[in-house]
Amino acid sequence: MLLARVEGNLTSTRKHPSLDGWRLIVCQPLDHTRQPKGAPVVAIDRLGAAMHHEVIVSSDGAAARHAVNDPKSPVRMMIVAIVDNASERTEVAAV
Amino acid sequence: MRLGKVIGRVVLSETVPEFEGARWLLVSPYDREHFMSGADAPEGLSSLPTPVVYDNLGGGEGDTIGFVEGREAAAPFDKPTPVDAINAAIIDYVNHEPL
Repeated sequence: MLLARVEGNLTSTRKHPSLDGWRLIVCQPLDHTRQPKGAPVVAIDRLGAAMHHEVIVSSDGAAARHAVNDPKSPVRMMIVAIVDNASERTEVAAV
Repeated sequence: MRLGKVIGRVVLSETVPEFEGARWLLVSPYDREHFMSGADAPEGLSSLPTPVVYDNLGGGEGDTIGFVEGREAAAPFDKPTPVDAINAAIIDYVNHEPL
């Protein structure tokens, strides 16, 4: 799963019907120092992640298809958690 | 899904039967610098590899689209289809506010 920061959103009228009504959120993946790393991805969100909040993005399509309630949806990325930013210090496991 | 600009279309001659009548877009994926607020796609091409994306939404050249890659791309098909990139949304407007 990705640690990412909310950096925007999108509007789209012509899209797969299963995405109707879902917020499409631009998520910028972060590295362990919370700096942007790589290209932003777009995830569906119903947790109401606010701008610049840190979130966890899952790329498990099965959970996303269940959330949109359409077994034939191509949806994949979904915001599954909003990170509590209270703890500024990040324990980074030695890899 | 990832964003990208439609830079062309691909017409196939010999394909597996599942691809009969399919429409394919050539897409230049957006890297971080291509994300900018607005309705128009940014200029120029990205250095990222150029995927061929299955399309049934009618994406045209110059459109910004949201495409999904991986096994999820084949979910909309009735029978197993070897598609691993599909156009899931034609983007009208991007709002990007980097921190």
